[in-house]
Amino acid sequence: MDFIYAQKLEEALNALRTQAGRAKVLAGGTDLMIQIARGEKQPQALIFIGQLKDDLAAVSLSQDGHLNIGALVTHRQICADRQVQASYPALATASASVGGWQTQSVGTLAGNICNASPAADTIPPLLVHEAVVTIQSAARGLRDVSLEYFITGRRQIAIENDEMVVGITLAPLPADTADAYLKVGRRKAMEVAIAGLAMRLTMAGPEIVGELRVATCATGPVSRRAREVEALFSGQKLTDELVTQGASLLGRMIQPIDDTRASAQYRKLVIPKLFRGAVLECLAKLGIAISGLEKS
Amino acid sequence: MKINLKVNGILEEVEIEASTVLLDVLRDKLHLTGAKEGCREGECGACTVLIDGQPVDSCLYSAAAAANTEIETVEGISANGLSAIQKAMVEEGGIQCGFCTPGIVMTLTALLRQNADPTPKDVAAALNGNICRCTGYSRIVSATLKAAKNAMAQKAGDAHA
Amino acid sequence: MPEVIGRSVPRADGPGKVTGQTLYTADIEHKGMLHAAILRSPTPAGKIVRLNADKARQMPGVKAIVTAADAPDVRAGWALFDTPMFARDEVLFEGEPIAAVAATTLAQSRAAVAAIELEIQEIPPVGDIDMALAEGARLIHPKLAQYGSVPGIVFNREGNVACKYAHEEPGVDDAFARADRIIEDTYDFGRQYQGYLEPKGTVVQYRDGRYTVQSGHQYVFNLRDRLAQFLQIKPSDVRVQGMAIGGGFGGKLDFGPEPYAAVLAKATGKPVKLIFSREEDLIAATVREGARVRIRSALDKDGNIIGREFFTDHDNGAYSGELILMAGLALMFCRGVYRTGPIRTQFRLIYTNTSPTGAYRGVSGVPMISAIECHMDHIARELGVDPRAYRLAHTLNNNEKLPNGQMLHDAAILREAYAEIEKIAPWEEMKRTKKPLEGVAIGSTVWLTNPLPASATVKLNEDGSAHVLSGTCDIGTGAMAQGVVGIVAETLGLDPANVHIVQPDTDVAAYDGGSQGSRTTRAVGRAAEHAAMDVRQKILDAAAPLMQTEAARLTLSGGKIHDIEDPGKAIGLTDILMMGAFASGPIVGTGKHAEQPIPFDPGCAVGLAFPTLPTPTYHVHMAKVAVCPMTGNVEVKRYIVAQEVGKALNPQGISGQIQGGVAQGIGYALHEGLRVRDGRYMERSLEAYRLPLAVDIPEVEAIILEHPADEGPFGAKGTAEPPIVLAPAVIHNAIYDAIGVPLNSIPLTPERILEALERRKSA
Repeated sequence: MDFIYAQKLEEALNALRTQAGRAKVLAGGTDLMIQIARGEKQPQALIFIGQLKDDLAAVSLSQDGHLNIGALVTHRQICADRQVQASYPALATASASVGGWQTQSVGTLAGNICNASPAADTIPPLLVHEAVVTIQSAARGLRDVSLEYFITGRRQIAIENDEMVVGITLAPLPADTADAYLKVGRRKAMEVAIAGLAMRLTMAGPEIVGELRVATCATGPVSRRAREVEALFSGQKLTDELVTQGASLLGRMIQPIDDTRASAQYRKLVIPKLFRGAVLECLAKLGIAISGLEKS
Repeated sequence: MKINLKVNGILEEVEIEASTVLLDVLRDKLHLTGAKEGCREGECGACTVLIDGQPVDSCLYSAAAAANTEIETVEGISANGLSAIQKAMVEEGGIQCGFCTPGIVMTLTALLRQNADPTPKDVAAALNGNICRCTGYSRIVSATLKAAKNAMAQKAGDAHA
Repeated sequence: MPEVIGRSVPRADGPGKVTGQTLYTADIEHKGMLHAAILRSPTPAGKIVRLNADKARQMPGVKAIVTAADAPDVRAGWALFDTPMFARDEVLFEGEPIAAVAATTLAQSRAAVAAIELEIQEIPPVGDIDMALAEGARLIHPKLAQYGSVPGIVFNREGNVACKYAHEEPGVDDAFARADRIIEDTYDFGRQYQGYLEPKGTVVQYRDGRYTVQSGHQYVFNLRDRLAQFLQIKPSDVRVQGMAIGGGFGGKLDFGPEPYAAVLAKATGKPVKLIFSREEDLIAATVREGARVRIRSALDKDGNIIGREFFTDHDNGAYSGELILMAGLALMFCRGVYRTGPIRTQFRLIYTNTSPTGAYRGVSGVPMISAIECHMDHIARELGVDPRAYRLAHTLNNNEKLPNGQMLHDAAILREAYAEIEKIAPWEEMKRTKKPLEGVAIGSTVWLTNPLPASATVKLNEDGSAHVLSGTCDIGTGAMAQGVVGIVAETLGLDPANVHIVQPDTDVAAYDGGSQGSRTTRAVGRAAEHAAMDVRQKILDAAAPLMQTEAARLTLSGGKIHDIEDPGKAIGLTDILMMGAFASGPIVGTGKHAEQPIPFDPGCAVGLAFPTLPTPTYHVHMAKVAVCPMTGNVEVKRYIVAQEVGKALNPQGISGQIQGGVAQGIGYALHEGLRVRDGRYMERSLEAYRLPLAVDIPEVEAIILEHPADEGPFGAKGTAEPPIVLAPAVIHNAIYDAIGVPLNSIPLTPERILEALERRKSA
């Protein structure tokens, strides 16, 4: 196996083109190095992009209010970033729950989505914020793809052999919007999610939902938005009955499996409760109290 | 491949494979055995070292990727006698079997550099990636608070002088 | 006045550990050292049809491959000799060693392991104790009756039962016949992995016809003896050198990688290092056994327990370790610390096609005491009375007897422990201030101090410092690094910094029962105290002629020898050693400890390895928990321990044991979980087997109660095991209090708690 130090982004892209599918891009390596050690991945070369910090390691706000997260931005940076904390706190919460400090120091947000684990914590919040993945290749330059289409299956992503992810972009928030990420594990940290749920809630008026978005992880082969549930809420008055209805529909929609972490039955039981919990958390963040909304 | 690693301020040339992890270089090539192998999957933190001041699990950190960084191991921070956190760990009884201790010392070293006055919650959260099976953690947390207090008192004393 | 005893003197090995300089087994390197790996059975039960290592032997770097054909055809064991070194014709558990490889590098030995051709004809495993006990169950050890065993211990074995012990006090049936009500429970306990941070490892050399074994090990003499059994050599042909040990908790009391490295060392003539991977360590660990305890209690109309049945079944796994020796615990713990009528008790240790189980802190007592304490809460709730009040009303007093006939002379310490907790956490206030889905619980028990014998040698150095040599290590508890250091320092009037602990070495030290069963401080401590007293007398004898007086007039303190009747007259210890040693010879003292037998009723307990509870200590724990209605997770909000320790030689060390032991108990109750399906472990990594983190464990409040033992080093009793013993039941009962239903098993997973909440909601 070769180890290629990319000194410039072009070098990384050229190396990817030359290697034609035989190489893997290495950033933090928290997933990749284990996969190599276990023989699950056997690339002929590692293209190390860790030295491209000038190009890829920033969280920046564009003039039109979009937040651009470079491919080398670590979970630790996400957790500490003021703009993320202010606008997308669910993402900060999710990044803060990926492993411990050691993993967060080196593990990147881009790496988390490229690994495309069904239990990846950051994917649900990125989905509810309709994150866009920016991909670059030497041959075709830049292209954007919605995260929803970027992840095509369990540990499968829509990327060509000569491409790499260079950034992730989040759109500015509408007014009266809050988000939440709730995660279930046996311990308070260091958990691969037993189940996770992200929500983004925009209120259109007192007690009237503008838009509700919800996505879950560890509830099926791929993290997805639950659009049928979301549709129930658009323009509707937020009532206890509606939350119950949304929660139970979500519970029916997900297709979890039994694995060593938990049974499918538990996941079916807990996801509706997380849904309700997320509604309450979003409302609390918005400072809205709705009478009759039960805690559980 | 040959690479240069800067470990505890000293450049070392080592021969590695592209798949070699930093822990193996430290222990087997450089004979720095302070970092321990507890799981080799990034769960226990016994192999924690600092890279550019940040704690990392050296068991899953590419050795080649560590070139051009500042690597600090427990041997490095012990070079001039016990540091404040090491002293406090000994005094407070934050140590039992000692196998997790070097990793925990490294994480807490990073914590105290970044947060001179941590709360017990800050300390516990900083240790999410470090397992100690012996102590129940209480004395590790109190040792960290003591080290912080001592360091702040020392700093105030220095400023006064 | 004691100057060291009772003070929180930091541990002597702290600086080495905190700087990473302490040498553990994995840190050892020898010239020409080879690296080994083991081929393990991929299946829990089957016949070995084909085993061919010819190709693997040709691989780069491979120096030797050994199998059953290269080892003596014997079975070894701690109590029952049922364990082969390598599987020969059949495999009995997933992970059973089949072959071992030594190569220049670890990668080469692992590659060779993968290249060994192995074909196993699988047999459906006898995967759990129900299957093993079922009528017509396949016998896991058809030749069980023919196996050898250690002399002096009597136990019945038959079918898939490796050890059965039963006892009945007169009047049990009568009590049930006249009972006002009968309360019955069945409790299931899962396995628990010790989860020490240092995976097992060893380095073995074969030179001059002897084996030198370097291992971080709790019980070097047991390891020596096991190697001698496996290799069919004299125990004295094995030298075990104990290394610093990265935790053990009972998991490093028996053999691990050592026999395999030994065979490879002899085959290659090179030092062989064998370190288990974490997965391998977990799969091959002698974990806490799964157990099922059935209790029936007959109550009279006033709620008194007038009779009981106590049946406890324990999963031995495929081969036997220490657990056979634990049969007697059923007799000692079936009553708990409460007055009951007569009891019918039965203990069974049952073979299954699973990884062998063994000792873990609180060995076998954890399920028994957990069952008793959960059952006590059930009884109290059934009677509609307060669980704490019910316990106190039936708690044993001084001079009441355990079912083995042993008198508990000081059981009233339990009431003191309740009272001390009451001072900082009044029970009624704890109950009154509960929020919804919060619960509180309290429980109590007695625990023992392992009575195996000890020895120690104290060697006085020419610079006035001392070395303490014994056959056991400091496993991390501080029992040596704080306890024994303190005892010797105090006895000799030395600065603790001048007392050094030598790692155990079977060539050098006399026999010792190892670091286990809370015994080190007491047993090795007493031996060291005697050795230090011997040294002290020798110092005074050597000083007397120099000071031109009699030894009886002299005393030793602060590194000086003083004349009691002429306080101005003193000479330094180093002066004695420089001058006196020419006349008296070098000063070395020896000491030993053997526990005095405790009177018991031989009718019920004869033949048991442990017929009594030596050096009993008393314990009360209280917990407050909060259950999350969304996930079923449990947060331990408060945990309080009142623990009797005899004399607290080093309060810091003891509170460290209490905090650490409770953390493991909370982990067992809530976070951990080692499930067996079809004979295989489902959890196989530290990602899946969740050891509790700093954020999961509250600051455990420790109240230390002192009732110095008549004998023993400054009155110390055992300390390290009991903190884990009550925690699972107390957490269970606090959750019971929070959600209103008992779960009757450990671990208490969020799944089961949430399901219970749902059932309660729909009911």
